Amino acid sequence: MMNDLIRVAATNGAKALSEYTAKQVLESYGISITREILVQTRAEALAAAQTIGYPVVAKACAAELMHKSEAGAVAIGIQDETALQKAYDRIVASVGAPLEGVLIQEMVSGPRELVVGLTRDPQFGPCVMLGLGGVLTEALKDVVFRVAPFDRIEALDMMAELRAQALLGCFRGQAAADRHALADTLVAIGRIGIDHAQVAEIDINPIIIAPDGRIKAVDALIVLT
Amino acid sequence: MTTTTPFEQHPLYPLINPRSIAFFGASNRFSAMGTNQLHSVQSLGFKGKIYPIHPSEQTVLGLPAFRSVTDLPEVPDLAVLVLPTAIVTQTLEACGKKGIRHAIVVSGGFNEVGGAGTALERELVAVAKRYDIRLVGPNCLGVVNPHHLFNVTFAAFEGRPGHIGLASQSGSLLTQMFHYLEQYRIGFSTGISVGNEAVVDIVECMEYLAACPHTKVIGLYIESIRRGRAFIETARRIVPHKPIVAYYAGGSEAGRRAAFSHTGAMAGPDQLYDGVLRQSGVIRAASLTELFDFCWVLGRCAVPQGRHIAVLTHSGGPGAAAADAASRNHLELTPFAPRTLAKLKSMVPQTGSVNNPVDLTFSRDPLDYFRRIPGVLLEAPEVDGLLVYCFVPPKNMQRMMENQGLSDDELAKLTDAIADDLAANAASMADAHHKPIIGFTYQSTEMPIIRKLLDHGIPVIPTPERAVRAMMALAQYGERVAKILSQQ
Repeated sequence: MMNDLIRVAATNGAKALSEYTAKQVLESYGISITREILVQTRAEALAAAQTIGYPVVAKACAAELMHKSEAGAVAIGIQDETALQKAYDRIVASVGAPLEGVLIQEMVSGPRELVVGLTRDPQFGPCVMLGLGGVLTEALKDVVFRVAPFDRIEALDMMAELRAQALLGCFRGQAAADRHALADTLVAIGRIGIDHAQVAEIDINPIIIAPDGRIKAVDALIVLT
Repeated sequence: MTTTTPFEQHPLYPLINPRSIAFFGASNRFSAMGTNQLHSVQSLGFKGKIYPIHPSEQTVLGLPAFRSVTDLPEVPDLAVLVLPTAIVTQTLEACGKKGIRHAIVVSGGFNEVGGAGTALERELVAVAKRYDIRLVGPNCLGVVNPHHLFNVTFAAFEGRPGHIGLASQSGSLLTQMFHYLEQYRIGFSTGISVGNEAVVDIVECMEYLAACPHTKVIGLYIESIRRGRAFIETARRIVPHKPIVAYYAGGSEAGRRAAFSHTGAMAGPDQLYDGVLRQSGVIRAASLTELFDFCWVLGRCAVPQGRHIAVLTHSGGPGAAAADAASRNHLELTPFAPRTLAKLKSMVPQTGSVNNPVDLTFSRDPLDYFRRIPGVLLEAPEVDGLLVYCFVPPKNMQRMMENQGLSDDELAKLTDAIADDLAANAASMADAHHKPIIGFTYQSTEMPIIRKLLDHGIPVIPTPERAVRAMMALAQYGERVAKILSQQ
């Protein structure tokens, strides 16, 4: 079924999958994602937030929308129904592109952000990246690569290679990151690259390490060839 | 009936160990590249037959010349082509018809110039395929195999047959290192300038060097890897048996697909190759100097069990510099066990330090410094490897013996003999304990103790920082092998 998501998008000439669809693909590979519901109306948005529990995040969801925060299409830390209604209207009004819907999502926070991704190299094929995430990714360039496919041991070795690997340990009163879940995520991203020639690039940015050490993909982008 | 080893059955064996050579492009003019290359073959004392092919000369560098490859009395193992681009392919075809199955094409003007050159290279490859010819080049500087007295590079070989097998995407790098390595009493087992890799690529060279018994370590100078996956798989097969060191000279960003994602934007060649080499089990050298430093120690030293090292010095500065470099390279100056400390106390003067770095401040007796103390440190289970600062002015050694009433000549001989004895002892201690000893110095390699240590196979590397990095490379190799074995 997930194969279909990618194939259908590719045959429709889409350049990318929406965040919602991208995360469904990730979840089907066992990657832990935020709880989220795609809604079409304001009423559905309120119901979704009820199910997920406040605070929530609301995001415009469309395949062509690769850099949402720049388009004013994201509202975070929504505490109640009034705020959600306002955010919903603002998002729908500010995004010109046709929407798949608005994504109502649990608010995951934690100061430790990682990036995991996939790129294709002409010589090496699909390559998986792990790095320091969030706004610091490109400033600090603390990233490591491996050529897919690879195993858990290799994935753990990627973590050992990060300059900021201290973030993965017990850090400022927060629990150590679930390295095994992170290793499985890295292996799975490589598998997606092997399984789907139509997938050109993947970004999971950020993966947040929660204070209890669990990891969760908060935002995701899958670019098609 | 003769039997052949798997090494001798390797497809590149006749190319790198030829019994006979057809040589195209040498004349009697030393302004010609080909003439210099044939001279290199002759001057190293090549034992096989050489057949120069020349359209008009009767003899070439004293050898009877042939008009055409078809006139040769036998089918040579190898053809070397140093010809104008335009006639390379037809010449290779003539070689193929004669039955020659190995060729080195030095000539340039192919894929490296693009356009028409790319088309010419395609034709060359088609001919090589048609006649099943293993071809090194084009646009390469040749091959050197001093163990076979075979050197077909531009430069005459200086040095000794050694343990470093180099496959290089820079041709001249090979020849420029002959003398450099010799000063440290090391050398190439084989060097291959791979050129455009039209047929034989760096991966196939790695396979050959892995099988070569003279090669203890494989060095790679890389600008780009074509067969990415084959490189990784081949390297991972080789590394548990033989270390590989690579210097990556950086790739071009051109031709890179415009990236939409952060991941794509971050995938610069340097970051990517860092991961690829680590995944392959290959040790990455940060500079050309390191490429040869790492090949030096990996071919000479035991692999340490861990990253706990001891530093021995009689001078504070170099010892502290080594300690500082060690911590920056994730090597740990291990605290000594009480047993080790007790043994050291009797050998280290009051002014010195028995802690790590062990600092004698003043070396009373080179016997203690090079024999007894290293013995104590190597036998300590908490020590995985030893770095020794080497500074012994020969005059000081001689002064210790002056009161014995010897002549200058006898003093020099005795100094040499003592140095030889100390160095031999250090080498056998390193062997017995299966632990590496790496010396470091600012002195010339001609100082008696340093020369003798080098002769006995103990690396003595200029500067504390380089020696520490070399020790780190040894530790890294142990870790790479352990990881690969754990993945099988």
